[in-house]
Amino acid sequence: MVSRNKRREVSFSTDQRGLTVATEREANGANPQRSSPDGLACRSCDLIFDVSMLRDGESANCTRCGGFLSRYTANQFEQVAAVSLAALVLLGLGCSYPFILLKFNGLESAMTLPQVSLSLISHGMPVLSFCVAGFIIVIPAVVLLLLLAMTGAIVTDRHYRWLPWVGRVIFTLKSWSMVEVFFLGVLVSLVKVSRMATVEMGVAFWAYAAFSVLFVLAMSGLDRAQSWRRIEWLGQ
Amino acid sequence: MSNLQPTAASRGLACCHLCLKLVSQATHRCPRCGSTIHSRKANSLERTLALLMTATILYIPANLLPIMITDQLGQSIESTIVGGVILLLDMGSIAIALVIFAASVIIPLTKLALLYYLCWSVRRGPPETVRQRTAIYRVIEFIGKWSMIDVFVVAILVALINLSNLLVIRPGPAALAFAGVVILSMVAAESFDPRLMWDRQETIDE
Repeated sequence: MVSRNKRREVSFSTDQRGLTVATEREANGANPQRSSPDGLACRSCDLIFDVSMLRDGESANCTRCGGFLSRYTANQFEQVAAVSLAALVLLGLGCSYPFILLKFNGLESAMTLPQVSLSLISHGMPVLSFCVAGFIIVIPAVVLLLLLAMTGAIVTDRHYRWLPWVGRVIFTLKSWSMVEVFFLGVLVSLVKVSRMATVEMGVAFWAYAAFSVLFVLAMSGLDRAQSWRRIEWLGQ
Repeated sequence: MSNLQPTAASRGLACCHLCLKLVSQATHRCPRCGSTIHSRKANSLERTLALLMTATILYIPANLLPIMITDQLGQSIESTIVGGVILLLDMGSIAIALVIFAASVIIPLTKLALLYYLCWSVRRGPPETVRQRTAIYRVIEFIGKWSMIDVFVVAILVALINLSNLLVIRPGPAALAFAGVVILSMVAAESFDPRLMWDRQETIDE
């Protein structure tokens, strides 16, 4: 994610280098932090790989179908914890201040983020309102809160009974947040409206813009295989 | 294609869909995260096809019904998805029109068509294209949620433009139908199992 040091791709591709996983492992030396020798099956084609030799900043892809396997970053959980906390604060700001201000023929109106969902209820569309609130506020907020709990436990080396449950909810909900899609929608609406009225971006607009960048960073920095390895290790 | 490395299934193992732990196929519950273990996603093809068909049917009202209704000075103007794109073109916002057209027409339609093709290809597809088909699946998985943009634009305009009796924008029924199309096709993509394509590949190789 943020690590700029040695971002080497180790993709063990047989057609590129003819190396097998075993030789790569001898060359690099296994990572001392993660001793569990169990394999990882490619999610797209089921081939088994050993990713325990990944070093800081390296990622592995499947040799047969090219699918992403895992990425190891030494301080991944500290980074994700920091980014999630910042993102959560920004989401709070984004919900509580005016998002966009509109001036039209002497009339003024301001829109806040929760209104994007709530005004759909007043137009008789509670289901759509529920979905929109989920995709842009509730799911991201729940994921970030649980992510803080999970990374907090991992960073402080403590196991809790709820840790596997938290991990399951995070990795189930993760793909259902549409923060970045919504932000593109905001930009499109701004251009549309600016043709007929004067629009101003409020505090919440900038907060949400920063939030969506941090949220995407946190999600891309979080590695599924590495997270679960750590959760399992803590429970032993 | 070399078969030097084993697949999880060939070793009697199954990969937990949630935490990726490799366990024996006889296991019912993942010992690490507690999810139910399936070697392949359960009834993958049937589920994907059922969801795809529902999404395809919903795509019809999503395009025929109005997605947005503008009340201006006692006059109501209804606009459909494609109507909105044409309106944007008339106004000269070509870039925005392209974004909306791509997100609401091109992406959902190609996504549905490609998922139908992938389902068909599991049993009858040309074996030499299995790698490309896996790549197609990954693109579909990634691109799905970007179709939601038009629904968000409507929701934002409805919340933003509410100026007493002068100018009010209301959501139309197509917004709900279109959100349904996007959500159903995302679930359909999630229920498809690309490993089925590779399973067939392996039986051909042997």
